[in-house]
Amino acid sequence: MAEHAHTQPPSDPELRIKALESLLVEKRLIDPAAVDAIIETYETKIGPRNGAKVVARAWADPDYKVRLLADGTKAIAELGFTGVQGEDMVVVENTDEVHNVVVCTLCSCYPWPTLGLPPVWYKAAPYRARVVSDPRGVLLEFGTRVSDDVEVRVWDSNAELRYLVLPQRPEGTEGWTEEQLAELVTRDAMIGTAVVAPPAKGDAS
Amino acid sequence: MNGVHDLGGMHGFGPINPEPNEPVFHHDWERRVFGVMIATFGGGHYNVDQFRHAIERMGAVEYLTGSYYEHWLAALETLLAEHGVISHQDLAARLEQLRSGGH
Amino acid sequence: MPVVSKDFVPVLIKTGGSTRVAKPVAPRFRAGDHVVVRTMHPEHHTRLPRYARGKRGIVEEDHGVFVFPDTSAHEQGERPQHVYSVRFTSRELWGPQAPDRDTLRLDLWDDYLDLVV
Repeated sequence: MAEHAHTQPPSDPELRIKALESLLVEKRLIDPAAVDAIIETYETKIGPRNGAKVVARAWADPDYKVRLLADGTKAIAELGFTGVQGEDMVVVENTDEVHNVVVCTLCSCYPWPTLGLPPVWYKAAPYRARVVSDPRGVLLEFGTRVSDDVEVRVWDSNAELRYLVLPQRPEGTEGWTEEQLAELVTRDAMIGTAVVAPPAKGDAS
Repeated sequence: MNGVHDLGGMHGFGPINPEPNEPVFHHDWERRVFGVMIATFGGGHYNVDQFRHAIERMGAVEYLTGSYYEHWLAALETLLAEHGVISHQDLAARLEQLRSGGH
Repeated sequence: MPVVSKDFVPVLIKTGGSTRVAKPVAPRFRAGDHVVVRTMHPEHHTRLPRYARGKRGIVEEDHGVFVFPDTSAHEQGERPQHVYSVRFTSRELWGPQAPDRDTLRLDLWDDYLDLVV
């Protein structure tokens, strides 16, 4: 691996992981090519576009939606999204009565196969501390207002079940293809801090 | 354990400040920490519960002031030492080598 | 210890490692049960957040049998048991000023709960 010039001295964590990784490689306990492949997979191949496809299919296909809500793991696997941190999936549906939002107060548990790796804010203290006791205030910080007559339901992923929010399908998307629908679905809508906005007039239909 | 990681309901952490369009990793060292963790986890060196508990044992101040992947790095160092894989002495020696310019 | 090879990486990632245990463990609770979360002060690893201890909720669903992290983190075995989705009202957790409609769900193991009779 090419050395790059340091304009500042390497940081403490940079040296620590270099020390650790070099020792593990020397002891033949890890394969550096495997480490590179792991990094590349999560940096470039797995991300929220996966979850958006699941949501779009559920919007377009009512039978799929029934299967998805009954057994999230199995239905999500139909699209090929399986594995690490998604072995036991539960999909929770937003309705006119219930708005769902997901957190892991104790660490950072998140459904990797459908959403990729979590953003910094999801893993940091402010969100983890506050969304369980003031979800409406947290949602407002994200620009999402939930009406008083809607139940806000917070899911704290403290066990190995992983949660994906199925957002409500917005108005103005009748007849759209799954590909078009998927483009509307944001990562934050699948965590529950956002909703999927209706398309601007003139968007493809 | 009743560590500071058990954050649900606590006050005083300020606004959430989501970063728009943030990259998956903010530093190359974070990439390496992530990759090494998955590789050693996949190799059976520890289970997920041990990993989380190692993070919880970091120390309250270190936990709150450390970034996410610094938590992972601390857990890796702790577990690999406790499981007799890479001792703290070997790690310290390698760090000293790297600091003094060896590659 | 096996070394994960580059070729094995896609298999590792796609397969993962569920902590479900295929053992016929009898559940202590069922959907609809009123439960109270045990008061505990563990120095060991636990996945029971402080904010839920001593609180009352309702079992909504039985997720099945999983490894118990409180023992698994300490090489004390899997102690497989049922995990339930338990519903708490916001008011139960945070007091009367919380919105009366809002709720929270936690996934709780058999050993974290007692039945309210």
